[in-house]
Amino acid sequence: MDGFKRRLNESVQLKLSFSLSLTILVIAVVAGIFSFVFAFDEAHELQDDTLRQVAVLFDRQSVPPAHPGDDGRDKDSDEESRVIVQYLVDGRKMAKNADTGAPLPLPITLADGLHTLEVTGEPFRVLVKTTLSGERIAVAQETGVRDEIARDSALRTLLPFFILMPILLLIVADMVRKMFKPIASLSAEIDQRAEQELHPIEESYLPTEVRPFVVAINRLLSRVNQSMEAQRRFVADAAHELRSPLTALSLQAERLAQADMSDLARERLRTLRRGIERGRNLQEQLLTLATAQAPLDRPKSSVSILQIYRQVLEDLLPLANAKHIDIGIEGEQDSSIWCNELDIIAVVKNLVDNAIRYTPDGGKVDLSVTTEDGRAILKFQDSGPGIQVIERDRVFDPFYRTIGSDQVGSGLGLSIVKTIADRIGAEIQLGFSNEVMHSGLCVCVLVPLEKPF
Amino acid sequence: MRVLLVEDDAMIGEAIQGALKDASYAADWVKNGQTALTTLSCQHYDLVLLDLGLPGKDGLEVLTSIRAKDNPVPLLIITARDGLDDRLRGLDGGADDYLLKPFDMAELLARMRAVLRRKGGNATPILTNGVVSLDQATREVEVNNSEPLQLSNREFALLQALLVRPGAILSRSALEDRIYGWGEEVESNAVEFLIHALRRKLGSQVIKNVRGAGWMVSKDD
Repeated sequence: MDGFKRRLNESVQLKLSFSLSLTILVIAVVAGIFSFVFAFDEAHELQDDTLRQVAVLFDRQSVPPAHPGDDGRDKDSDEESRVIVQYLVDGRKMAKNADTGAPLPLPITLADGLHTLEVTGEPFRVLVKTTLSGERIAVAQETGVRDEIARDSALRTLLPFFILMPILLLIVADMVRKMFKPIASLSAEIDQRAEQELHPIEESYLPTEVRPFVVAINRLLSRVNQSMEAQRRFVADAAHELRSPLTALSLQAERLAQADMSDLARERLRTLRRGIERGRNLQEQLLTLATAQAPLDRPKSSVSILQIYRQVLEDLLPLANAKHIDIGIEGEQDSSIWCNELDIIAVVKNLVDNAIRYTPDGGKVDLSVTTEDGRAILKFQDSGPGIQVIERDRVFDPFYRTIGSDQVGSGLGLSIVKTIADRIGAEIQLGFSNEVMHSGLCVCVLVPLEKPF
Repeated sequence: MRVLLVEDDAMIGEAIQGALKDASYAADWVKNGQTALTTLSCQHYDLVLLDLGLPGKDGLEVLTSIRAKDNPVPLLIITARDGLDDRLRGLDGGADDYLLKPFDMAELLARMRAVLRRKGGNATPILTNGVVSLDQATREVEVNNSEPLQLSNREFALLQALLVRPGAILSRSALEDRIYGWGEEVESNAVEFLIHALRRKLGSQVIKNVRGAGWMVSKDD
């Protein structure tokens, strides 16, 4: 019951349905009671009139009341509902007639008019009238019968209420649900949105009562959008601004390397330059991530995956050669997708870079592409340690590094890949290159082909 | 060689100026666009290194002003702006090359040499990656300054294709496109055959195979 009360307080729809139904019920019950009472009284009035008319009829026609022994009844008529007409005679006369079946032992003292009294243990309605001839007659009927007839007709007036009530309740419930439908579909629409979808809610088809609320939400959405955009721009600007000092730093270090110095100094300079290189790499990745997150319309074109592979291999071959990694493309099949070239380059470059980084010296990295179900499958396999199943959800978080890895990547590679994949509607699957040994990372990127029309 | 460096960032300016001096250039350094234009109008320079993000007069405006005066000085843009639009506007505006920060000094010096060569009008007909040099006029090839060797037409075409951009990976079909003219029938394994022949002449390390991707000659390393 408490749960229902709480839900009632929380849901306008429920509250509306409940209160409307309750109101209809109360009104119906009150109206029903009134109509029952009126109909009941009316039926009694009608029966009293009948008694009066019978009396008048007797008076006019001077028909003698029922003879003793012949009560003049129709054999078929209801024993209960009969109307009894008799002379009011004194007790003595009546007593004399008692054994001949004189109908009712009515007291002679009754005044003219209508009375309800108990006769021989049963309640009767009796009309006493003095005829023109001076005799007094009584017209009587059992109240039980009268009440029954009155109740029947009164109940009949209630019938429409009984039929209409449930129909009305159903209609009300249905109407309320239909009226709240825009709100239900609105909440479903908002619920299905991805986190980046901060465009305003369509408000034109909403009822005016909800519109101010939606307008307020839209204003909030646009503020959130602005602040997210500001944050993204800040990261981009910061990464951009870092370019100049890092460039200066690496240029100076490069100059320093050309100076005469001891072997020890040279060794330390090498470490220093590696550090600077790492900073530069991190800065570039931050910029790439910020760019990947920007909600821009990027120009699309038909992009050959093998061409992208070659381009990325050109860039990363020195890195692979330095680690004596056998890197190459498996298969000759190419696949063209309709997308932004820079997006795909960033995805492929980060995945290949990761593969080379995490593959030990003398390892192997394979790239391939196939087409299946309207999607291009870009596959990257390496002979590194792979990513354990429990870690697979977290590796896409920025700056997350797998346990036990001593790699000095930026920690942003997979975040960039994931961000771009989400934006272009691609799916990423992580697996092992060697399922039996649980080793080697196998990344599949499934990109929709989406041919231009 | 006298070089004008236009760069507002003190640290970068200092580093580049120092490195240029190390490389035996006479380098003058100015920090804004207006001074750059004034300096250019009263002094001859062999090359200008121009940053785009300058205070006051923007680098692109400086470029436009220089070219508007019909000054043909070789000009190389060095910038932190990586937008494609900026790059295109720079090159369309009359820059000879465009180098993105952060860069290595070695790369800057190499680009400077390339720009100077091109602008000097004596664009050398020799393609090289530092190890292999191909004379496009005589079709002779040298490996590490050894005796020049003569190449067949198709060997020359293939090596030329690879040496146009050292470091680029060319697929079999890309190489076939360069070797065969329209309507010529492509023989199967022709590319492998030619590469085998070239390796025999030049040594096995000159042309590298990238598994599944194609062939390349490495950048000067």
